Amino acid sequence: MNLKSLIHAQLDGQITPQQHGQLEEFLRADWQARRLYLELADQHARLLQQPQIGTGRLPNPTLESAKPPKWQKFIPALATAAAVAVAFFLWPRQSPPAEATSNGVAMLSQTLDAEFAQNTLRSGDTITPGTIKLAQGLAQLEFFSGATVLVEGSAEIEIISTWEARCISGRVRVHVPPAAKGFLMHAPGMKLEDLGTEFALNVQNETSAVRVFEGEIIAHSKDKAPASLTEGMTLGDTTDSFLPISELQGLVKQREAQRFADWQTWSQATRKDPRLIAYYTFKHWPDDRWDRLVNNFTEPKHKNRAGGAVGARWTEGRWPGKEALEFKRPGDRVRLNIDGTYSAITLACWVKVDSVDKKYNSLLLTDGYENGEPHWQIYEDGSLMFSIIYRPENAAKSAKYNQMYYSKPVFTSDSLGRWHHLAVTYDNMSGEVIQYCDGSEVGRAISSLHVPGHKITFGPCEIANWGLPTQGHEFPIRNLNGAIDEFAIYGSVLGPTEVLALFQAGKPE
Amino acid sequence: MPESSTSTENLILLLTQHQEQLFRYIFSLVPCEADAKDILQETSVALFRKFDQYDTTRPFLPWAYRFAYLQVQKHREKSTRLPLLFSEDVMDLLANERAHIEPQLDERLRLLDACLGKLTPKDKELVTGRYALRQSAEEMMRRFDLSRRTLFRNLELLRQRLHECVSKQLESEGLA
Repeated sequence: MNLKSLIHAQLDGQITPQQHGQLEEFLRADWQARRLYLELADQHARLLQQPQIGTGRLPNPTLESAKPPKWQKFIPALATAAAVAVAFFLWPRQSPPAEATSNGVAMLSQTLDAEFAQNTLRSGDTITPGTIKLAQGLAQLEFFSGATVLVEGSAEIEIISTWEARCISGRVRVHVPPAAKGFLMHAPGMKLEDLGTEFALNVQNETSAVRVFEGEIIAHSKDKAPASLTEGMTLGDTTDSFLPISELQGLVKQREAQRFADWQTWSQATRKDPRLIAYYTFKHWPDDRWDRLVNNFTEPKHKNRAGGAVGARWTEGRWPGKEALEFKRPGDRVRLNIDGTYSAITLACWVKVDSVDKKYNSLLLTDGYENGEPHWQIYEDGSLMFSIIYRPENAAKSAKYNQMYYSKPVFTSDSLGRWHHLAVTYDNMSGEVIQYCDGSEVGRAISSLHVPGHKITFGPCEIANWGLPTQGHEFPIRNLNGAIDEFAIYGSVLGPTEVLALFQAGKPE
Repeated sequence: MPESSTSTENLILLLTQHQEQLFRYIFSLVPCEADAKDILQETSVALFRKFDQYDTTRPFLPWAYRFAYLQVQKHREKSTRLPLLFSEDVMDLLANERAHIEPQLDERLRLLDACLGKLTPKDKELVTGRYALRQSAEEMMRRFDLSRRTLFRNLELLRQRLHECVSKQLESEGLA
């Protein structure tokens, strides 16, 4: 081995005593060898302490200490107060990852038929300083200062900071709560300083018109003394009507109700799909006295495949009126028992992940992990992970039979807290696993461990957790942190267009 | 043992400020993270005990390094992994050499961040797995579908690329 490889083997703890001896010889004999070693060791030490890089991955992964703290044994030697102080900086110091930062100043809280020049903007997005061009539709911006601005297309708005924006053209309506007093809205020929109020602004052809609905604003116009405008007062040519506030809320509600109704119609039809093994829509039955039934809606009915919620609470799903189950605590889950053996499967669900905070975050797992049982989870780096195992009898313990498939990472800080459609298909002949997020393929692979023809089974299994722990044993905590409002299990592989159709039929907006 | 709480506070401030440097110093002599951490703690305790002897008009780090060096030797004496630890003469050489080039090492770390940003997505995933998530070799082998040999080969190449990137930067800044 050359010097470099010896150094790296040393850093990775892979060096043998004999190689270590060789490395020592190099270091003893040659200052350049020492220098290279010191540089590489220093770089490695730094990475161990500050491993954060801008990977766009999930921020703040949980770091687990490999060894228990050892400082306790020194306590007798120290005054207690000092020990606490020394311990204070020594042990929380599993090199805290650099805090995630954002240069956002506002968020796009709601949209309706909105078309942006930046066509990637979606509601829920964080807005950074810059110009937003809304070709049509309505968009509501919530500034981090607390001010809310409703914009009607076509309009052009420059976002300057959490406290400042400019209306270049279009109709906007601004609401400023007391906490955001002082919010500044620029417009051609004037600057409006808001003293806690609600006002509307129209800018057409470089001329501005203002109307105050509530409270007070100070209008600073060119060549004029600042003027106070109070409730009912207007400034400029007000022949064009101002943007009414009720519009967005009302229309959004209407639109959501429409989407929900469309999905219900689709859902009524899709539940007759003969390929469905089980189909849970998370409908909360008000007359279910136990409140724990997660009914299976496949037609014809398979009542024995109904699920039972444990711990999880009912919450709002993709639309108002659509229910979902929320999983937060380590015990939260939906218990299922799915009979039968299959040669291919598709798992599909609508999920809102609040945080990927565990090593494995469950979607659907069978109890234990026996031959032919699928496990579907979100891995700690935000990728989707599907696995299935076939271990021949008499197999050596050390042999590997666990087929694991990872997608590329799909959960980042940006995709958390929103509804996403996830799906995975597996064929026991080809061994191919295809993973999808929001109808698009995010992973496709065949494991080198695949042996064709092994049956797939479920049996006792659960959504959003992994159980049941055997008596007296501790169980790994794998519960999902989030909510699920639809879950379908098919006994065959759905093609890419079919998965895309599932997404299209159920997407919230 | 120091009496006043002010001196304890002073020490804590100094240690907080310099513990990364101390860790790096110790790690260069004992390149094993767990051991280096233990030694860092033992060093902190030793510093606490002897802090009344610290001359506040002098720089803290050289004084602290002496304690760290002693703790490294103590650790060496009681360690059961002797064949994998550097002999005393090599440690001595390394510690001396390091004292000479410490400013350059600090300079290199300043440039390391920029070089990390230039890594390919694949390399970034490796860094995240190995350093941020502290994944075991087995996990990373599964995760990246690599044999043990290839995994460690890739890690070596990755660190080597980072090292070269930093050296190039230094050269272009005329500092090498």
